[in-house]
Amino acid sequence: MIEAQGLTKRYGDVEAARSVSFRVEKGEVVGILGPNGAGKTTILRMLAGILTPTEGEAKVAGNSASVDALALKRSLGFLSGDTALYQRLTPREVLRYFGRLNDMDERALAARIEQLIDAFQMKDFADRQCGKLSAGQKQRANVARAFLHDPPALILDEPTNALDVVSGRFLLDAIRKERQRGKAILFSTHVLGDAEALCDRVVLLHKGRVLDEGPVPEVIARAHAHTLTDAFLARIGDES
Amino acid sequence: MRPLIVWHIFRKDLLETLRDRRALFTTIVIPLVIYPLLFTFMASMTRSKKEEMEKKQARLAAWGPIPESALRAVLAENAVLVESLAVVPGDAKERARKAVADKAVHVVLVTPQDSQGPSVPISVYADSTQFESEAMGERVLKVLRRAGVQLLEQRMVALGQPAISARPLAVEEVDLADATRRSASLVGTILPYLVIILLASAAFYSAIDLTAGEKERGTLQTLLTAPVQPLEVVSGKYLTVLTMTLIAALANIGSLGLAIGRMLSGVGGGEASFHMGPRVVLALFLTLLPAALLLAALFVAVGVMARTYREGQSYLMPLLFLVIFAAIGSVVPGAELTPAMALVPLTNITLLMHDVLAGRATLALGTMVIISSFAYASLGVLLAARVFETEQVLLSGEKPWKDVFARKAKGGLGPASALFFVAVLVVVAFYGSIPLLRAITREQIGRAIAISEVGFFLVPAVLWVLVLRAPVSDAFQLRLPSRRGLLGAVLLAAGGWAVGLVVMAFLSRYEGAREYSRQLGDLLGKHGPLSLGEAVLLVAVLPALCEEATFRGVVLVGLGRTGSRWLAVVGSALAFGLFHFNPYHIVSATVLGLVLGYAAYESRSLLPGVLMHFVNNAFHMVRARVPALEAPFDSPVVIGLGLLATAAGLWLLRGSGGRPGPTPAPSVARASAVQR
Repeated sequence: MIEAQGLTKRYGDVEAARSVSFRVEKGEVVGILGPNGAGKTTILRMLAGILTPTEGEAKVAGNSASVDALALKRSLGFLSGDTALYQRLTPREVLRYFGRLNDMDERALAARIEQLIDAFQMKDFADRQCGKLSAGQKQRANVARAFLHDPPALILDEPTNALDVVSGRFLLDAIRKERQRGKAILFSTHVLGDAEALCDRVVLLHKGRVLDEGPVPEVIARAHAHTLTDAFLARIGDES
Repeated sequence: MRPLIVWHIFRKDLLETLRDRRALFTTIVIPLVIYPLLFTFMASMTRSKKEEMEKKQARLAAWGPIPESALRAVLAENAVLVESLAVVPGDAKERARKAVADKAVHVVLVTPQDSQGPSVPISVYADSTQFESEAMGERVLKVLRRAGVQLLEQRMVALGQPAISARPLAVEEVDLADATRRSASLVGTILPYLVIILLASAAFYSAIDLTAGEKERGTLQTLLTAPVQPLEVVSGKYLTVLTMTLIAALANIGSLGLAIGRMLSGVGGGEASFHMGPRVVLALFLTLLPAALLLAALFVAVGVMARTYREGQSYLMPLLFLVIFAAIGSVVPGAELTPAMALVPLTNITLLMHDVLAGRATLALGTMVIISSFAYASLGVLLAARVFETEQVLLSGEKPWKDVFARKAKGGLGPASALFFVAVLVVVAFYGSIPLLRAITREQIGRAIAISEVGFFLVPAVLWVLVLRAPVSDAFQLRLPSRRGLLGAVLLAAGGWAVGLVVMAFLSRYEGAREYSRQLGDLLGKHGPLSLGEAVLLVAVLPALCEEATFRGVVLVGLGRTGSRWLAVVGSALAFGLFHFNPYHIVSATVLGLVLGYAAYESRSLLPGVLMHFVNNAFHMVRARVPALEAPFDSPVVIGLGLLATAAGLWLLRGSGGRPGPTPAPSVARASAVQR
């Protein structure tokens, strides 16, 4: 469903990503893990069609970023710590705006917005300007925005950053539900505990390269470690 | 591009902008309140000062034997004599200055001792820097002139002549403009300038908010995750900035127009009035629109390169100054809308507005202004779209400006350094030329050329490269072209003179260009102080080396690091043109600079430019001194062959140096911003 095929991104002499390949299948959550500067955001942005790879190909639901970036974006919900909401619009207006940008039918859009407001418990603040919302409320609205057009694939770049425990838990639950609905989910995080609890498979990334990839127990075993954190540190240590 | 998506983006951006109360208050509400208050206050102050001056008694000092009749006439017009000296003090002027400065008197009348005979001199001392002294001085002068005429009439009568013979010419001044047009002309001088500034201010705020502001708030990336194209985003934002610019400008203009009109009617005591009828309003709007289109496009294009609101301000401020500079056109005395001026962006609009308000706009020139402004606006939009399509600009978190225009590597040249270098050259050339022009006589013109070529171009360029520790061979493109490039260079040199000749022929329609050509001929021709050998050395060899090293070296190489051929070629040509100072020479040099720049960029070598520059300059030197050469080279066939050789040369040079551009930028650590 989500496919990275030899993704490379070069800025002059510097490689932000080097021949990165992996797949995320339907109903699967894959965690992409790496320290700051590992190239996670660059890879996710290439997969989301907002960065053009120097080499390789990004595909979502069969749509290639290089062939039809718009079709790729339509099949994807993207959420990251950097994707903020418009401060002077209300969550309802934000959802309406993105629904229109996704070519959604007006009646279907109105129904979907009500459904998401209900599902994400946003009734109390759906008509309040985003600038006046708490971090948790903003993130709920943002998740609703990413889920709005019900895309078959989701890319979530450190979505639990700066969230309190309650909001973080809410988000992880939402991700689990989407997995149950058959979505392919690519998820990056610093919180390895979240990854261990949520991901079916992980991709360990360092200096733009894939160090290891596979189900969490296998990655732990290959590193002769006891936890994902130990495995992660061991692999990075090997490379440094 | 899908219009519906553009519409959605525009509608959202407009809604968000209109909800920004602080912005609305600053750009619309405050001007609506401030102008009426300001101008009402000014009108009231001016009126009351005028009335006060009319009623105020002038305090006079009279030194020396002032004719009694004259003094009587002055004192009869609301004046009082506070000091009278029979003998004029030795330091009369100094004492008068002190008396006026101390406010003891407004005016001092002085008649030198022993002034007798049919004409008695009276000096009226007043201080033009002091409002009251100046006004009283004018009043006294008027009275004295009238008294002089009356005295003459009395003398004529005493001689048995009619009194009227004292006025052999009854001169009357008639202003063909009525009061309304006079005031409209006055308003037309100020208003266009203000309008452009107001438009720019409005565009400034909206553009930063919707570009750098969005980036800083993190919403631009959110938008880019949606299925939208960069051109749709830029179009939606552009329309929003345009709308806000027009709304703010119209509010400002309306308020300002009404306030100025009210002030004028106050000043003129009802005589002067200013009304804007529907036709004038429509005409003004038609001129406003292209200006707003252009400003919005420019500000969006530049604003998007900033990563924060603050950075946006620092990027847009220089642009704002340029806009102000262009808008000054309407307030320069004697500035008129001519076919040539109709092509100067923004200045053309201010001049057209001036003509519209003064009621003398012509359809032909108006159309030219609007068409050229729309063309510039379209270029602006394309630039904005181009910038928006650069992913580093939209997404980088560190130094987007450097990402777009390729980061300068350690010890290398970059676009920022090239622009800064041009600024340094301007300072060096401007201030350096002041003592040079003072010290050098006509006979020493050769020395002046040598000093300016070496001192203003070559030395700064070499120092610049050394200071930046850039590889000298890269900075000056010191490499031989390929065989194909060499052939192209030879053809270019053989025919390049024709380009200069064609441009000069075009420019010779203008008297200014002809006059400049005559001056150059006088200085550098066969009647000038230089021998042919000296002229070729100084006017052909030196510029070919010094100017090429500077403009096709440091400047073009630096701009070339953007990866944009056209930015490098056009930018270096404009800089090259700028240093030819005379407006007509700037045009011809810029055209030549385009050809030279293209040759240097494509061949990645300085040699083609040096060859063509040398041959072109030497050709003109020799042709000016050998009349036999004039006729053959005026032949359309020969010129055509020259142009053909130039075209063939450029074709051969294209891509002859390999790609990309002149010396690819060593890009060290460029990606740290985006590598996370």
